[in-house]
Amino acid sequence: MKLPNIFKPVLILIFILLVSGPGYGFDLKKKVLKEKLPNGITVLLLERHLSPTVSLYIRYRVGAVDEEKGESGAAHLLEHMMFKGTTSIGSKDYEAEKKLLDEIEKTGQRLDREKQKGRNGDSRIVEQLSAKLKALQNEHKSYFIPNEIDRLYTENGGLDMNASTGQDFTAYHVSLPANKIELWARIESDRLLHPVFREFYTERDVVMEERRQRVETDPDGKLYEEFMNAAYGTHPYGRPIVGWTEDLMNLSPHALRKIMQRYRAPQNIVIAVVGDIKPETTLQLIEKYFGKIPAGEQTNNMIAAEPQQTEERRISVKFDANPSMILGFHKPNTPSKDDYVFDVLETVLTRGRTSRLYNKLVTSMQIAQNVSAVNGLPAARFPNLFAIFAQPRHPHTNAELEEKIQQEIDLLKKQPIPDDELIKAKNNIKMTYIQSLDSNSELASILSYYEALLGNYQYFSDYLDHIDQVTVDDILKAANTYLNKNNRTTAFLNKIKE
Amino acid sequence: MYNASSRIFRVLLITLLTCVFIVPVKTGRAAASADFSPPAPDQIQYEPLHFELPQAQRVVLDNGIVLYILENHELPLVHVKALVKTGTMHDPSGKEGTAELTAYVMRTGGTSALKSSNVDNELDFMAAAVTITMSMESAQVGFSVLNSHLERGLDLLAQMLIHPAFEQDKFELARHLKNEEIRRIKDDPQRLAFQEFNRLIYQNDPRGRFPSYTSLANIHRQDLIDFHRRFFLPNNTMFAVSGDVTRDDAVKIFTRYFGRWNQGTLPADIPPPSQRPRAAVYLINKEIPQSTIISGQFTVSKNNPDFYAFTVMDFIAGSGGFPSRILSTVRNNEGLAYSAGSFYRAKPDYGFFGSYAFTKTSSTLKALSLLDSVLEDIKSDSVTARELDWAKKAINDGFIFSFSTSEQIVWQQMNIAYEKLSPDFLINYRNQIDRVTLKDLNNAADKYLDKKKNVVLILGDSKKLDHPLPTGGFTLITPEE
Repeated sequence: MKLPNIFKPVLILIFILLVSGPGYGFDLKKKVLKEKLPNGITVLLLERHLSPTVSLYIRYRVGAVDEEKGESGAAHLLEHMMFKGTTSIGSKDYEAEKKLLDEIEKTGQRLDREKQKGRNGDSRIVEQLSAKLKALQNEHKSYFIPNEIDRLYTENGGLDMNASTGQDFTAYHVSLPANKIELWARIESDRLLHPVFREFYTERDVVMEERRQRVETDPDGKLYEEFMNAAYGTHPYGRPIVGWTEDLMNLSPHALRKIMQRYRAPQNIVIAVVGDIKPETTLQLIEKYFGKIPAGEQTNNMIAAEPQQTEERRISVKFDANPSMILGFHKPNTPSKDDYVFDVLETVLTRGRTSRLYNKLVTSMQIAQNVSAVNGLPAARFPNLFAIFAQPRHPHTNAELEEKIQQEIDLLKKQPIPDDELIKAKNNIKMTYIQSLDSNSELASILSYYEALLGNYQYFSDYLDHIDQVTVDDILKAANTYLNKNNRTTAFLNKIKE
Repeated sequence: MYNASSRIFRVLLITLLTCVFIVPVKTGRAAASADFSPPAPDQIQYEPLHFELPQAQRVVLDNGIVLYILENHELPLVHVKALVKTGTMHDPSGKEGTAELTAYVMRTGGTSALKSSNVDNELDFMAAAVTITMSMESAQVGFSVLNSHLERGLDLLAQMLIHPAFEQDKFELARHLKNEEIRRIKDDPQRLAFQEFNRLIYQNDPRGRFPSYTSLANIHRQDLIDFHRRFFLPNNTMFAVSGDVTRDDAVKIFTRYFGRWNQGTLPADIPPPSQRPRAAVYLINKEIPQSTIISGQFTVSKNNPDFYAFTVMDFIAGSGGFPSRILSTVRNNEGLAYSAGSFYRAKPDYGFFGSYAFTKTSSTLKALSLLDSVLEDIKSDSVTARELDWAKKAINDGFIFSFSTSEQIVWQQMNIAYEKLSPDFLINYRNQIDRVTLKDLNNAADKYLDKKKNVVLILGDSKKLDHPLPTGGFTLITPEE
């Protein structure tokens, strides 16, 4: 990078201030308490007393990647069903309700099977079964109180109650007043042991709407789905988390129960509690409620590895929207040393206005509306991708962007990046890191994430040390090893009517 | 550059009352440990919780700048946020987009002392993030920096806010990017629908105007300079400062870099929207498999005594998550939408209430009629005491506990002052919500919910709706570009 002379002293100053070793006044290793319950569940506790609140995360080492073929979307639909209550939450008379639920499931299954026959199906049977299902669903309404989990949390000051399903994990979280941790333990242990799948077929329709909203009517969602599917030919990372339409419309409660079984293996469960807590008391409470979950091993599905890519893959999506593109390269996942290198590369290329690709494509050449690099898609339990997303500015094209991005990649492979540029990238990563320490919920999310991913949250506390060790040569080497055409997937979205 | 000044500024300090909240609880014995069987969730006994909401300190500098300061030394970070009383509603007529371009080029177009590339280099090296964004009725400034760079960072921020250079090529770039953004709005059905809905409800009001290719082409660099000069004034700006800086240091540094910012004549306020939009159904045609439906009308302002009853009503109608009426009807019962609910935007002098759902084309009108019927049902006194109790607890507890970082706390307290609400608004808010009775809620619903006043917008595949709209019963609109 060319810098005016007057600017140099400022750089040196910043160099000294930011890279003068650890010790920002926080040391997670000393502050986080990690305990394993006798049954194997991992609990992470971190005291922070700024406000009388606590963020609670329960993360299961189970995600979309664990679904069986033909059942894509099961992990995500299960996450939706987990808000439908338990045998003791939302039920008026569970014994009676259970009989009706079994009848609903049987009818729904028959209806799905008949519909699957397509043209060979009997439309009268479909009609009859639909009517029967509707009647049973209406009858069921008098047997339960809907949305009890949500009511209990919100009525007790719960905030940001939500859940998320990823390829690797499923997480349930809420923030509560610090004196209400027992409510969380009561609800979460109960829905793990005794969930009731109420309103299953209606919720499946809701998820179809979610798919329409996120994929079918959203060019970014559509392009991302097709891109991932092209980048992974064998490995389930190529399937959408929300599920393919055909799989989703036929998902059965049985498919969800198979995922549920994996939740219950204690080695798949990580709990993180961050906030205004007394760790000993909190731990006792968690043990009281979660100790009941029986210890036991869960054998995981064999997940076929993605074979080494040998030639470029290109796909094109037609959509009624302006053009956009994604480039992706296969690379090793966390905690490989190369993964840290790609965190630095992501920053060098597109973080900040002076980053290489932003400065070149948006500011100087003025051919792009936006460009951003992301390391580690779609998840990290398995080898993943380094991806670059870009949108050309009219009348420029995806092809032009591809060419210019390629030139920058070629440059990374040939010329070592200047030291000051590396320092700038590291400074940015550090700032982002420190900012993430400012929020209870983010800390609970990050701690539980690395504990679930690597069996050790300390990856996060040691993170900056590893970033500090990334050298100019590491970047050169990683660029030459991974950013090659035969390792690349290119996806273009182009306007349908042009 | 603006070097440290030795002049001592008179500092006006007002100490706010510290509000202490006590959350009432039932007290009782602890659960037995042997043969533990979990209690019913509603029967769990909780320890009482006492806490004090930290209070920001308010400081007024000589030139009228108001600072709200809340110290927090856990991390070596300082956050500065500012609100400037301006907004896109002040765009000169025919030059819509001026306000947004002004904000964008203040950040990207250099200062009278530094070229834009130098500003960007310095900020990126410090890893300091500066954002200046324009919304309808204000501009927001955001700035986060390591405490070791606070001085230099604030120096740069002050230069951008006080002496922006509006470099010609950065102005041109900003205009091109805004043009491209307009081109891409229609790729995003929800964003397009909400923008066009705003255009419909703010008919003949400065708030209902949006940039177009034509209006952007009419804007010159001088327009940005003029807009900046009119609104970016110390006596028109409030700052919220939080993090690893002491009150005294914050005052000292702000005085150093912002103390010479000269006051100016405050621009005239734009009155609240006076004209009510014509109630009607509008349609935007787009061949996609899911429709966006939005419906709403003007309603109670924040200063109206019915504000609290209306807030509770809105929560029960569709803002309160799954148990709220719209979500449980449209989503849980019928499976017609993933996203549905209500929204209540209350300003000090006017308010707007609406409902929305995103549903597949073949259930568009069914979903719309469900939205209407939920609100009609609320009007017929159907809300139960249990629902009211749930909503009041959820609003009040959610309200206190939403302030979990010092940044949020100081921002909230500054907003109260920005909206010129009473200083004890935060304390009163809980009490007022708590006092809402079923009768108040029913009265508010009855008084303000009127189906016949709704502006309705449907964005979707008009030829494939569940049944055709009556001829003459709707207006087809084509969003302008």
